[in-house]
Amino acid sequence: MQNEGTSKPQKQKTSKAERRAIQEAQRAAKAAAKEAGGVKPSASSGGAVPALKQGKVAKPSSQRKDGPQVTAPVTSSEKKVVDRLPEKDRKKDVPHPRMQFDDKHRVEKAKRRAVVNQSEARSRVELFRHLPQYIRGTQLPDLESKFFQLDPIHPSVYKVGLQYLSGDISGGNARCIAMLLAFKEAIKDYSTPPEKALVRDLTAKIGSYVSFFIECRPLSISMGNAIKFLKSRIAKLPHTLSESEAKSSLQSDIDRFINEKIVIADKVIVRHAVTKIRDGDVLLTYGSSSVVEMIFLYALELGKHFRVVVVDSRPKLDGQALLCRLVAKGLNCTYTHINAISYIMHEVTRVFLGASSVLSNGTVYSRVGTACVAMAAHAFQVPVLVCCEAYKFHERVQLDSICSNELGDPDVISKVPGWKDLNHLDNWADNENLQLLNLTYDATPSDYVSMIITDYGMLPPTSVPVLVREYRREHLWI
Amino acid sequence: MPDVQALVNDFVLKLKRRKIEGSHASARHTAELLRSVISHQRMRQTNQAGALIDAVKAVGEQLIAANPVELAVGNIVRRVLHIIREEDLSSTATAIEGLGLSAGSDDDDEGQYEDRPALSAAALAAAARSTLRAPSLQTLLGDIPGSAVTPQPPSSWGDSEGKSKSADKNLRSRKLKHDVIEAINELIQDIDTCHEQVSEQAVEHIHQNEVILTLGRSRTVKEFLCAAKEKNRSFRVFVAEGAPRYQGHVLAKELVGKGIQTTVITDSAVFAMISRVNMVIVGAHAIMANGGVVAPVGINMVALAAQRHAVPFVVVAGSHKLCPLYPHNSEVLLNDLKSPSDLVDFGEFSDCMDFGSHGGSPLLHVVNPAFDYVPPKLVSLFITDTGGHNPSYMYRLIADYYSADDLVVKQRSTS
Repeated sequence: MQNEGTSKPQKQKTSKAERRAIQEAQRAAKAAAKEAGGVKPSASSGGAVPALKQGKVAKPSSQRKDGPQVTAPVTSSEKKVVDRLPEKDRKKDVPHPRMQFDDKHRVEKAKRRAVVNQSEARSRVELFRHLPQYIRGTQLPDLESKFFQLDPIHPSVYKVGLQYLSGDISGGNARCIAMLLAFKEAIKDYSTPPEKALVRDLTAKIGSYVSFFIECRPLSISMGNAIKFLKSRIAKLPHTLSESEAKSSLQSDIDRFINEKIVIADKVIVRHAVTKIRDGDVLLTYGSSSVVEMIFLYALELGKHFRVVVVDSRPKLDGQALLCRLVAKGLNCTYTHINAISYIMHEVTRVFLGASSVLSNGTVYSRVGTACVAMAAHAFQVPVLVCCEAYKFHERVQLDSICSNELGDPDVISKVPGWKDLNHLDNWADNENLQLLNLTYDATPSDYVSMIITDYGMLPPTSVPVLVREYRREHLWI
Repeated sequence: MPDVQALVNDFVLKLKRRKIEGSHASARHTAELLRSVISHQRMRQTNQAGALIDAVKAVGEQLIAANPVELAVGNIVRRVLHIIREEDLSSTATAIEGLGLSAGSDDDDEGQYEDRPALSAAALAAAARSTLRAPSLQTLLGDIPGSAVTPQPPSSWGDSEGKSKSADKNLRSRKLKHDVIEAINELIQDIDTCHEQVSEQAVEHIHQNEVILTLGRSRTVKEFLCAAKEKNRSFRVFVAEGAPRYQGHVLAKELVGKGIQTTVITDSAVFAMISRVNMVIVGAHAIMANGGVVAPVGINMVALAAQRHAVPFVVVAGSHKLCPLYPHNSEVLLNDLKSPSDLVDFGEFSDCMDFGSHGGSPLLHVVNPAFDYVPPKLVSLFITDTGGHNPSYMYRLIADYYSADDLVVKQRSTS
């Protein structure tokens, strides 16, 4: 009774109760075969929670396919209810496509459930119609005003959502850690309502928080993987645990994840990377990556003599913060903007880049502009080292930067801070022929990357799918 | 004379202070200035071309030294020198015909010309143009001490040859100046109309539903695209803003005013967007003799991305930007480092930087180059006012516009 539930479009019309009945039957059969005792008591939590993902609840084998995707608000119409036994069926491991925003029906549905009021931007670039683009100015004040009305959302989750929306927290690791800590707080304060199962209800709550985060800012891949982990831990909770034991077990799981996958992984990466720094090196980095900063500071502690070039670009200009911290520690730094990359690349010996994720075809998905830096380094035969924790890897593949991206606020392009008389693009929205495009990410082809430094070691970009396949299953989901 | 010197000094000062920006303006000013210099030059009886060349070289040396990075100034100086030489040559050739001298009667006087057959004026001029001749023995030794290095057959002829009529000489002297000034006027007109000439070719290269990428702002590119739009070709343009001058914003506004679909992107997004682009069209600051391009900063990045995605990289430029020099170490020597305040505010990093420690040397360098060098192998096509050319062909065009003797514009000192 394997694939009862591979969802085809017409399946969505079957009612929830019917689907749950099917599920129960399957689960009962499985439980009889396995040692886990007891079947889930009752079908519960009807359509109350908007983003209930069926098929994620309490399966002995972890669901792989329907982790929250990068750009999708979670809707109940999207689930793939798939049964799988763990050791077989790796072939079915295709990540299912994310929500595309040119599908009007689904967009409308998502909007109806949305907490944050989104209004679509008027002049959108045609090429990116499949990605959401909303008018920015009104979201933050709107959300702030609703603070005391949003009961279902835990205050710490709300706070983190606001921080995402305003851009206070940025960077894959920071966002992931903030999210997990917010979940930890939420779990601590969580109490199971009567007549409901802990596992299913908690999963539903986490799902609703996740859709709130997505509305504030589309998920990064690191966050997506962390959510997958959390949901699988919830699903794996033994039924014999009491509520407080379950909650503390989940909290310690979260702590362990943060510690192992992020903090210690960063230390391992730093240890590996400093072996690649020699005296007299000129190291280039782009933007602001937390791992690369740690590498430089550790190398400085070890007493190596090197120079750093920080390349920055508009509109975020996040290299300046990194520059400030490096100069304060006494590193000799050069600062330039990305257009001057050909000029500065003559003197550079190594390039260290961070990544938001590394995809299964070896493509490095990171801050927009990284591809230009890697390309220039390749043209001048300078080795490019990408430093990325293993939890950020993903089984998705991507060929270019258009199919999946995040569109930022276009107004920051027309306004340059400090240049008051640069007003050529004021009132750009009035003109239908003019569009501004603010991409957040881009995809660097794998042939520009010499080496990827992860907590599993230093590997070539072609080894990433191997890592995804062999190690994540055992180590990540534990 | 004194007022010409004042003009020269004024222009030199403007160049030094970078008050004149852009090759078009610089070229035009230089041409007009040299025209004034020439028209004020008092003409001697003998070796007038040499005198003109001397005067122009003296002024040209000052202009080039004022702003060595503005290559258009040097180009125009060399163009004017070439014009003088050519006009001199062609007027000599007509004089040969006019005087009807036979080769034999001149042999004893002009022994050194025996290798030169009597050619028609046109052939002579064509021969002069098609080869960059090495200086002949006569020019090396110099018939008049301290004269500039030029082939001087007509004037020395007039010297040693008692036959030439003085009326002819006067006529020729005035005619030389007049011809030179006319040619310079033509040059100025060429500089002014180069945009139209380039834009005429736009319709051959832009078809329907094209997607074009450009960076920063070039007036030639703007006219090019507008000309295509007027011929009702539908296309879209991605304009990269071109930090830190942000001229891309200006270009976007102008294009939108003409009704062209424009999208402004940041420079970092060039690699991301170029996979959806059909053609890259950019302007240049200067085109070097090997076909390399000195362009506003960032364009080398665009060229590399275009090469990776096999997108044609087209450079549009007027012929006054063609420079006869070869770029050696051009990243450093042909570059202008601008103020770091474009990138970083002056007060921003003062609290991070402690000059007391680390021996007082600044830990922070901010680099803001103005130009980039694009090697010829990255360029697919040059579109100039003389048509479309391959980068490997550009060196031939140099022979059309410049003489080999003028590569180093230096006043020959009297010795």
